[in-house]
Amino acid sequence: MTHQQVFFDDVEIGQEIPKLIKGPMTNAHIMRWSACMENWHRIHYDRAYAVEHDKLPDVLVNGSWKQHVLMQLLKDWAGLGGWAWKVGFQYRDMDIPGDIITAWGKVTKKYEKGGSGYVELDVGLRNSRGVESTKGAAVVILPMRGGPPVPYPFPVQ
Amino acid sequence: MSSVNYVTDEVKKLIGYQTDWAEACDDVERGAIRRFHQAVMDNDATYWDDKVAAGTKYGGVVAPPLFPLHAHRRPPGTPDPLDRVSGDPDFDGVTRDFGLGLPPIPIPLPRLLNGGNQVEVYQLARPGDRIRAKSKYVDIYQKEGRSGTLVFILVETIYGNQKGETLLKSLQTHILR
Repeated sequence: MTHQQVFFDDVEIGQEIPKLIKGPMTNAHIMRWSACMENWHRIHYDRAYAVEHDKLPDVLVNGSWKQHVLMQLLKDWAGLGGWAWKVGFQYRDMDIPGDIITAWGKVTKKYEKGGSGYVELDVGLRNSRGVESTKGAAVVILPMRGGPPVPYPFPVQ
Repeated sequence: MSSVNYVTDEVKKLIGYQTDWAEACDDVERGAIRRFHQAVMDNDATYWDDKVAAGTKYGGVVAPPLFPLHAHRRPPGTPDPLDRVSGDPDFDGVTRDFGLGLPPIPIPLPRLLNGGNQVEVYQLARPGDRIRAKSKYVDIYQKEGRSGTLVFILVETIYGNQKGETLLKSLQTHILR
């Protein structure tokens, strides 16, 4: 992968990081993920159960899948020289087949700690129906120009 | 209309319950990593390209950061939860112990939702690792929502490897409604 490393020095508060787009999501994508993690929750593959029993609009894109999209967004931005340390999010709405899902992040704060650059971001997933299905916040560590590498493994705290 | 109290004394007793370390039944396998990153549609070369991965700080192929969250599968020789599907039209396919050795929550609400998660990543799993996890019910409480009563179950889990190193911490919210 050719990836231009992002440095703490170059990050500005309010800056949006490169978006990550997935989809359109289909039943096949949802089935593939469910089978991959052996999640047999019927709301992800049994439309009759999802709609008639659980009163949902359709089968749902798994929350367990959506969290990896947020993580990928942050990991790809941090690059191999940085570290996507922490992300917390709430699932506020549903994503269903047909949705294109866009992961986004916006820098809210930056500070230096122990020779590394800490960047806080608001993050979320927005679908092509305009619904913000997932919202959260993250902390990413970035190297500083001329500074030491971000430690790996990242120190447990 | 007064609502039902689902967080009974029996349920409250489970708050603070902590499991011992539970080992996943399988090692981290390259095939499992491949199926995972293909299903997430993240083609990062550090998940599959030995040559590229060897030149990174990982020194070899690694699993995606949150891979350990799903490392605990049903061990061979244990009862098949899908046996219930044909005889129980209400069964949603999910056992209420959340797969990590926690006691099931005795709450008769039929629908389970994933409320969200908070994760902290420290190290990535590698092929051949054996992931272990230690989980705790940190809180169980109910709220009145638009569609009725919601019960929130907060599960804190630490994931480690066979060397005792911490890979990941998670605070998962499950919602029953």
